[in-house]
Amino acid sequence: MCGIVGYLNRSGSGSSAPIGSILLGMLKSLDCRGPDSAGVAIFGPARTPNLKLRIKLNGGASLADSADRVRTIVSERVPVIESVTVQEYLQLLVGPVEDAKSLLPPLEKDLDDFELVSGGHQLEIVKQVGSPTHLDTGYGISRLTGTHGIGHTRLSTESRVDLSHSQPFGVHGVADLATVHNGHITNYHKLRGRYEQMGVRFFTENDSEVIGVYLAHQMSRGRTFREALESSLDDFDGSFSYLAASGNELAYAKDRFGFKPLLVAESEDWVAIATEEIALRSTLTGDFDALEPGVSRVRIWSLPEPATETA
Amino acid sequence: MGAEVQAGNRSSREINQEIKDLIRSGENRIRVRGTQAQHNLAVGILSPVSISFEGSVGYYCGGLMDGPDVEILGSAGWGLGESMAAGTIQVTGNAGNGCGASIRGGTLVVRGSTAARAGISMKGGLLIIGGGCGYMTGFMSQKGTVIVCGNAGPGLGDSMYEGRIFVGGEIQELGNDAVVEEPDQEDWDFLSRNLEPRGFPVPSSFKKVVAGRRLWNFNRKERDLWKEVL
Repeated sequence: MCGIVGYLNRSGSGSSAPIGSILLGMLKSLDCRGPDSAGVAIFGPARTPNLKLRIKLNGGASLADSADRVRTIVSERVPVIESVTVQEYLQLLVGPVEDAKSLLPPLEKDLDDFELVSGGHQLEIVKQVGSPTHLDTGYGISRLTGTHGIGHTRLSTESRVDLSHSQPFGVHGVADLATVHNGHITNYHKLRGRYEQMGVRFFTENDSEVIGVYLAHQMSRGRTFREALESSLDDFDGSFSYLAASGNELAYAKDRFGFKPLLVAESEDWVAIATEEIALRSTLTGDFDALEPGVSRVRIWSLPEPATETA
Repeated sequence: MGAEVQAGNRSSREINQEIKDLIRSGENRIRVRGTQAQHNLAVGILSPVSISFEGSVGYYCGGLMDGPDVEILGSAGWGLGESMAAGTIQVTGNAGNGCGASIRGGTLVVRGSTAARAGISMKGGLLIIGGGCGYMTGFMSQKGTVIVCGNAGPGLGDSMYEGRIFVGGEIQELGNDAVVEEPDQEDWDFLSRNLEPRGFPVPSSFKKVVAGRRLWNFNRKERDLWKEVL
C-alpha cells in the first residue's frame, strides 16, 4: 500500500501556484497508507538555460566534505552558479547547459556513488524517510511554488527503507521527468535485466524505479509520452496506478485489473489526483466531483504553455 | 428532526463514536454534515436507524451493517456496504471499486456509476446502479440481483455461481461462463417494482445475465474452457 498524489495548475502561470503546500496537504491525509517515507517532485519556474541538481550526500564522511567533493566533480563539467546544502541534499544551480541529455549521463558517471536525485530546468525532488510532516519541517516544501507536481507516501513491501528507495523517482540521465507508483511491477526483474544489458544503471532495488526507465527508453526510441504510457499498460505486469510528470505534462496510468485506487478531480483552474478521495477533500476547496478512472486507462494533462522564468 | 453530527476534519473513529452514542441514547434519525471522504463511516451499525451523510464518504461505508437506512449525498469510495446483512444504502453520486461486495441482503442504490467489481461475490440482496458499471461487475456472484440501468464494462458476470444481472444498456464484454437470457414477465415485474418507486425510468429493453453453469463441475471434455478461465 502506498499513497500517490498529483496536482497541476491549469493556468501554467509559473511560480504562482503553491504546489508544495497543496501536495503536502494531500500527502498528510495519506500518511497512514505509507508511513515509511514521503517525497514530492515539484516542477517550479524554468531556470533555462541553467539546470537544478539535487544530489544526495552520502553518510560516512562529513556532509561538508562530501559537498566539496561533489562540487569539484560537477564544476569540472559545468560551471556551478549556486550551491546550498540542506540536510542530506546538495542543491546546485549549474549552467549554462545547452543540452541536458548530453550533460547528465557523463556527469552521473563522474558522480559515481553520489546519487543525482533530480536534475532539470524545472524539476526538484525532495524525499526522505518518515512522515510527510518532516518534509516541511526539514525542507520547507510548503514554500515551494510551481506549475505542477507529484508526491508519494511509501509502505515498503519489497525493498529497503532509505532515501534512495523512496519516491518520487527521477529518471537518471533525463531532465525533468519523475514518477510515483502505487502497486507492484511483477515483471520488474525481467525488465531490469533487459535494461541492464543495454547499459542502464539502476540505483535501487525498488521495482517502481523501472517505470521511469521504461518511459525514457520508449521516448528515446521516438515514441511520444502518450505512446510510452499506453504501451506500459501491456508491458508492465502486476498492479499499478502510477503518475508521471514531465516539464509540461501530468499523467496517470492504471492497470488492466483496476487493482489500485486512484481518484481524479478537475476544476477550471486545476487537476488533482490522489489514491484516496480524503486527500482531495481535506486539501482542496470548492465543489468538485472525484471520479475513479476505469481499468487500462492513460490520461495526460498539458500546461497551456511552458513555465517561464520569473524574476 | 433528528440529531446532527459535524464531521469536518474529524477522524472516522470520533464520528462513528458520536453516531453510536446517539443511537444508544435513543436517536433514530442522524445527519452527518460535511464529511470529507473519511473511511469506515457507519460500519457495523445493527439498529434500524436512519443515517444521512452530507458529503462524500471513503472506504467501506455501511460495511457489515444490519438494518439501518443510510443515505449518502455525495460519492462513496471502495467497498461500499461490504458484507451488509440488511437495510438500505443510497448514494446520489458514484461508488468506487467493490461496491456491494459480499452483501447477504438489503438494498444498495447507486444513482451514478460504479467502478470495477461491483457486487463481487454477492450472497443475496439487491444492487441497483443508475449509471454504468465497470470491469468485472458481478464477479463470482452467488445469489442476489444486480440491476445496471446504463452500460456494463468488460468481464460482466465472470465466474458467477448463481444470481442475476440485468443490464439496460450495452454490454462491452461478457465474463467467462456468463450467458445472456431473455427476461420473462416475472423479471419485468421485478424490475418495475424496484426501479419505478425509486425514480429510475425502466429502460425499454433489458438483458439478463446469468451463470452458464459450465464451470460448476470440471469436465475433461472442456479442457479449453478451463484453460481460458484459469
